[in-house]
Amino acid sequence: MRVWIRGAAAIAVALLMAAAGCGGGGSDNKGSTSGGGGQEGGTISVLMGTAPDYLDPGLGYTTQSAEATWISYTPLLTYRHETGQAGGELMPGLATGQPQVSSDGKTYTLTLRRGLEFSDGRPVRASDFRYTIERSIRVNWGGKSFYTSYIAGAAAYDSGDASDISGITTDDATGRITIRLTEPYGAFPNVLAFPSSGLVPSGTPMRNLSNDPPPGVGPYMITNVSPNRSFTVRRNPRFASFNIPDIPTGHLDAVNVKVISNTQSEAQQVLNNEADVFDAGDTLPPSLLPQIESRASDRFERVPVPSTYYFFLNTTKPPFNNLKARQAVNYAIDREAMVRLASGFLEPSCFFIPRGLVGHPTSACPYGDRPDLARARQLVQQSGMAGTPVTVWGEERSPRREYVDYYTDLLNKIGFKATEKIIADAVYFPTIGNAKTDPQTGFADWIQDFPNPSDYYLLMDARAIQPTNNQNFSKVDDPFIQKELKRLNPVPATRLDSVADDWTRLDEYTARQAYVAAYGEESMPKFFSDRIAFDSAVFHPTYLNDWATFQLK
Amino acid sequence: MATVDSTVRAGATAARDADGGAAGIGPYRLALRRLRRNKAALAFGALFALIVVLCLCAPLYADRIAHTGPNANHVTDTVMVGGVSKDVVSPTGQPLGPTWHGRFLLGADQNGRDIAVRLLYGGRNSLEVGALATLLTMVLATIVGIAAGYFRGVVDGVLARILDLIWAYPVVLLGIALGTSLALGGIAIGPLQLQGNSLLVPAFIIGIVYIPYVAKPIRGQVLGLREQEFVDAARVGGAGPLRIMWSEILPNVSSTLVVFVPLMVANAILLEAALSYLGAGVQPPNPSWGTMISDGIRLIPSAMHLTFVPGAMLVLAVLGINVFGDGVRDALDPRAKVRLEERGEEASR
Amino acid sequence: MTRFVVRRVISMVLVLFAISVLTFLIFQVIPNGDPAQRMAGRLSTPETVAAIRRTWGFDDPIWQQYLITMKKIFTGEVISYTQQVNVLDQIKQDLPATLSLAIGAGIVWFVMGVLFGVLSALRAGHFTDRALTVVALVGVSTPVFLLGAVALYFLAFKVQLFPNGGYVPLTQDPLDWLYHMILPWLVLSVLFIGIYSRVLRSNLLDTMNEDYVRTARAKGISERRVLVRHVLRNSLIPIVSLWSLDFAAVIGGGAILTESVFNLQGVGQYAAESIQRLDVPPVLVIVMLGAFAVVMLSAITDVIFALLDPRIRLTGR
Repeated sequence: MRVWIRGAAAIAVALLMAAAGCGGGGSDNKGSTSGGGGQEGGTISVLMGTAPDYLDPGLGYTTQSAEATWISYTPLLTYRHETGQAGGELMPGLATGQPQVSSDGKTYTLTLRRGLEFSDGRPVRASDFRYTIERSIRVNWGGKSFYTSYIAGAAAYDSGDASDISGITTDDATGRITIRLTEPYGAFPNVLAFPSSGLVPSGTPMRNLSNDPPPGVGPYMITNVSPNRSFTVRRNPRFASFNIPDIPTGHLDAVNVKVISNTQSEAQQVLNNEADVFDAGDTLPPSLLPQIESRASDRFERVPVPSTYYFFLNTTKPPFNNLKARQAVNYAIDREAMVRLASGFLEPSCFFIPRGLVGHPTSACPYGDRPDLARARQLVQQSGMAGTPVTVWGEERSPRREYVDYYTDLLNKIGFKATEKIIADAVYFPTIGNAKTDPQTGFADWIQDFPNPSDYYLLMDARAIQPTNNQNFSKVDDPFIQKELKRLNPVPATRLDSVADDWTRLDEYTARQAYVAAYGEESMPKFFSDRIAFDSAVFHPTYLNDWATFQLK
Repeated sequence: MATVDSTVRAGATAARDADGGAAGIGPYRLALRRLRRNKAALAFGALFALIVVLCLCAPLYADRIAHTGPNANHVTDTVMVGGVSKDVVSPTGQPLGPTWHGRFLLGADQNGRDIAVRLLYGGRNSLEVGALATLLTMVLATIVGIAAGYFRGVVDGVLARILDLIWAYPVVLLGIALGTSLALGGIAIGPLQLQGNSLLVPAFIIGIVYIPYVAKPIRGQVLGLREQEFVDAARVGGAGPLRIMWSEILPNVSSTLVVFVPLMVANAILLEAALSYLGAGVQPPNPSWGTMISDGIRLIPSAMHLTFVPGAMLVLAVLGINVFGDGVRDALDPRAKVRLEERGEEASR
Repeated sequence: MTRFVVRRVISMVLVLFAISVLTFLIFQVIPNGDPAQRMAGRLSTPETVAAIRRTWGFDDPIWQQYLITMKKIFTGEVISYTQQVNVLDQIKQDLPATLSLAIGAGIVWFVMGVLFGVLSALRAGHFTDRALTVVALVGVSTPVFLLGAVALYFLAFKVQLFPNGGYVPLTQDPLDWLYHMILPWLVLSVLFIGIYSRVLRSNLLDTMNEDYVRTARAKGISERRVLVRHVLRNSLIPIVSLWSLDFAAVIGGGAILTESVFNLQGVGQYAAESIQRLDVPPVLVIVMLGAFAVVMLSAITDVIFALLDPRIRLTGR
């Protein structure tokens, strides 16, 4: 009996050591060394704390999904595979060049490259583009209003009144694609770059195919899906032959993604080199930070990602219908405190358009760099709003709840009577976006749909205010903003630089009006095992870990 | 099922003593004597009492010693510890550990709040929820149990089915489901209007969930008592059912009820901790031992004081009342040994 | 016997019905809990939300929604709101972890509980008894998630003796499976061991003073045989019936806290996460499963006891 136990213990210990030493999947594939000093080939393991919402490109909307789909389903236009502001620039994907936009901004013309094939060998045709858009609408993609609100005939297709989208015409022989819009929409090129605009073959069933995603055109393809558990992104051998410029063909053979909902274990595995990538969309457990920073400083970095974190200030009711009261909040907020509450994963800012985006003001914050509680209290007194009861809304999960804990205490310090109301994440935005709730202030964030300031100013647009699912929580209705948006929104995304200064001036105006109390943009963790070449791996501003640029050392 | 419920027996024994001991000493006096001899029970009871008193003194502690309230944030403040100035919360979000001085005696949490202050205020909330829940359970269970046992027939049928329904629903799931739902919507039943983040909401839920644990044994006991002569005698004497239930039945189950009280308080405190851990108990920013433990678990590897401090307090409090409760049970019927009602404790697992 | 079975089946159906209705209603009253809005996302238009409501039938009257959902559950086609996966498939995936936890812990706590109970009774009043009582009391007073977190901290983090939570399927690697399950088994069992040992101790002490036992002793039979032959068998009966109820409760999602702390991805954890996401279909299914397990197991235990002990009649209270 005892001998058996000892034997079992020995085996257990051996297994432990093997697991510790192995370091994730197949490090044995040694291919030829590329010029950059890294290896070609190999497999890595990625750990995700949240499963992708859908692996079907027509449905996916979260970063976890996009990480896999944007390198597997290239759309007509796509983004540069680079970091920072360069990563927000549009470039041709499956199209031969940038779109030709008519002078009234309502017609876009592109030409499909020749000789393209899907990952299963089928040839790509121009008509596949129209089918792809129709499919994304039919399967009810969460962002389908980008299509139905702007593409002529898309709304009719959506409601079933038409059997196809009249506004998209294609010619398979020449590869020409013409898209007519109902109104000029500057961000339309960004819409063309969504993963859900990534081409799939005509005839692909119009239902959720996440368990067995359709073929696409891209350096990689999604295979081996075990729903909510794991999937593999494998190199697509056909892609390299298409010679599409500026889209990397990929160094790795395969990326094995595993979903485990314990971020603590996730981080520890990467720290111990038992797994390769800590998914950027997850929060690093703050308790492990000291260890990570001391043991793994050469493979860990906090990368700011364009996003805005702010407290909305309802301008239609007391106390924040008063400018001084709103300014007081902006003077009082200690942005350094917010950074600490975020365990360092916040880049402080007081402007609405984040860094890394065209239009972000580089001028000084109108409220100073340090909080000024005395000034804030004074302003509250002057506004006549001192003692007003304020309900502060917040989400349950950390660190958002901690932000609101701090904010509520702050409001009390400067003279309001604030109490907080924390509700379940699942109903938070529907609740604060409901006119019946009409919240005074609370937590809000905006992770961009695409790198275009017009996406952020949706939240300041008076036309966006609606009785349910409102996103303009401050209920901003400012004639100057409306005038500027009318002028700036139709500018095509491919010509953003020409209006950069206008956006900057608009954002500075918004900051002075204190319609919100913005405090920063989120940083996400770039955290790998020591197998991966850290610096050459691109952390994309929109799509985070760009696996197509990853390489083993 | 061949089971013995001897909390009931404890009560029944006491009842018998009451019945036959007209010339002797009453059952409660006897019990008190036995209890006084039980040193362990007294010691732990005192421990519990001490914790209660400490928590009630929370405002005193906050004002005089810690100089800060339970919800006051100090994220970017510094504090002098042994002549060195330390961040209450480090730039990467790590909170200060215990300073063993007046300010931040037991350390700070991630918002820079004083843990010792929150511990005491949290204790007040946890104990308040526990007490209210127990009150609700005992009152309703008594009414339901006696009514079901006395009236039998249809009344019993309906009440017993309702009890079975609550009993069959996995306790924690029921707790979280109700907790999540009511935290969002509050309670609006007739005159009872409660905000979602009121302390009464978890107290209400815990109270309801535990009713069958007390009502079922009471019902069983009453079914037996009902057949006894003194009840017949009262009925023949012209007393109505309500009168009989109040003056004949109730006193005879009272010792059973007394034994249940400490047990239910312990269970309520534990269930509150469990619900708060899953986010369905006491709502922020109100501290409670459960929410503090839940918040602390996130940071265990680097800031274990956040979990250990409220955890230790909770265990001591529950241990205190459990041992004292055992003593009370032993005192009321030293022969009563089988403790099936302890199933209630397992529920909050 | 048939009367017994029929009565139990009817009562089980009623219980399941009542529980499912209760669960359904609990989620209906949540303000802004419209699942269609959540599914549509933040950038949706009212038309999208309306379309989703139509597809899922959220516009139907409540009783109709309830019936349709129940029908979907029984035909195995029920889909969760937030993850668009088939709930029954997900539960099937999660069930092995819960079963591993329940069965393993069940064995551990039964064996240890009986062991401690017997030891305590034999050494009643002495140090061993007191020590075991203290351990039992502490076990009963500590919330399981606290114990689990503390155990993980000391045994999986400070000293890497055990893995930091997670579940490895038995079929994948039996030794690794065992390695991951030891700590959860022990933590979950602590509470039950505490209870069972005290219950058994009392039962034993009671029975040991009964007349027939004294007779056996008087006849000259050794203490050990007295204990095993006469005393233990009778005292175990209430323990076994307790055990079956507790075991059923653990299977039915009662070990939520243990599963969450150790991240075992079991049925209980799935239920807790679904509740937090306000995802009704999984909660409905799991709650009914749990109730079903409890009723089933208690009926089986009753039958077994009736067969074993002719004094116990099945019908009657």
